[in-house]
Amino acid sequence: MSGREWFIERYRAMGSTLAGDETTPKAIRINSFRTTDEKLVETLTEQGVELEKIPYLDHGYKVQYSPFSLGASIEYLLGQYSLQETASQYPVQALLPTPEDRLLDMASAPGGKTTQAAAYMQNKGIIVAVDINRERLFATENNVERCRVINTSIHHVDALELPDEEGFTKVLLDAPCSGNYVTDKQWFKRRIMEDIERNAELQKRLITKALNLLVSGGVLLYSTCSLEPEENEQNVQWLLENHDVELVELKGPGAPAVTDTDSIDLDKKISYCRRFWPDVTGTQGFFVAKVVKR
Amino acid sequence: MRLLKRFLRDIGSKYKPVDVVNINNKRFSSTLDPPIDIPELVYTGTYLGQNKQRFEPSSILLQTLSDEPSTHKVYVDRDTAWLFVVGKDIFDENIMDRTAGVRLGGYCLVMFGEECIGYGRYETSRDLRVVKNLYDVGDFLRRE
Repeated sequence: MSGREWFIERYRAMGSTLAGDETTPKAIRINSFRTTDEKLVETLTEQGVELEKIPYLDHGYKVQYSPFSLGASIEYLLGQYSLQETASQYPVQALLPTPEDRLLDMASAPGGKTTQAAAYMQNKGIIVAVDINRERLFATENNVERCRVINTSIHHVDALELPDEEGFTKVLLDAPCSGNYVTDKQWFKRRIMEDIERNAELQKRLITKALNLLVSGGVLLYSTCSLEPEENEQNVQWLLENHDVELVELKGPGAPAVTDTDSIDLDKKISYCRRFWPDVTGTQGFFVAKVVKR
Repeated sequence: MRLLKRFLRDIGSKYKPVDVVNINNKRFSSTLDPPIDIPELVYTGTYLGQNKQRFEPSSILLQTLSDEPSTHKVYVDRDTAWLFVVGKDIFDENIMDRTAGVRLGGYCLVMFGEECIGYGRYETSRDLRVVKNLYDVGDFLRRE
């Protein structure tokens, strides 16, 4: 149970029309507490960059053309924008953290979503960003400093080892996952079902930990960049069966999550979650679910 | 704190960091209070910089200092700013404007509009006056 044809067939059985060779364009996210969209777009346009607003993202722009590397401009180094793939800009927007929040970012490296959350929080409140991987956490530190974020504490710790204490009003769990072929050209060669099943088990443990850390009424945003139902819809089904939560209907981009196919028969409410099929959204594969802890 | 205070004095700042936290020789100013006890803190609040042979300020601290009227600043255009962030020094003739406190041998912030892109020492090198690059935001690329 592996290989390109097997996976593509699997996705098609879920209703997709994927070809398996989709790509995602470069995209940037403008850092709204460092500059304004209008100002930065004007500055980059003057330098020959061609940008197109992504209609469903608050501060996301598709890069049509750039005469230089957008990861090395003065404005980038000043933290006025970040390079962030289109679909991966959606989870924090869907979570919508505010300056009053105490936010836990459970798998924060390399920090793109951490700095995005800081922007929504106007650099106020508190973000606790943790990650198990010290090397990747250096990137989080650099991103936080570059974007001039001052509301964040970063800890090198396995989120599963955090004490079970209700303290956070919001949790972002952009979970470690199997990834997808759009951003990993070797994906079909590398992945087998055992990886996916192992990741799905780890994700369940992280979901439980996230809920243990949330206050009652707190919000969990769960996302992956996987297309596999075991890591997405089936994990949400498990979540609904094992925890006292309410699923929030997301009306954003992408398609309603899959609930009814030959191999999947899930709670219809799971369609409240969003699934990004790369051929439809023009992004990498993605899945986003939002729940409120009762 | 000694090196940090010396740096602030030399650049003409009156900034007084509060609640300074030392993590692995890095200095932070932080009143953040995580809602639960979490071990292995590596970064918190406002990163000020780190002690090496001299105090090496962060870009966050430099931007904060640039808001103070008393700090020493030179202003450059985009072309010079770009050369500076790739590690070059700034020739005197490329300085568009400067504040009163900029003097030979002293530190100054390098400004591109309202943004601080680093700092240096105004000095004489091979009979030319330059701002010698001591730190620039291009450091983010060199770290990776």
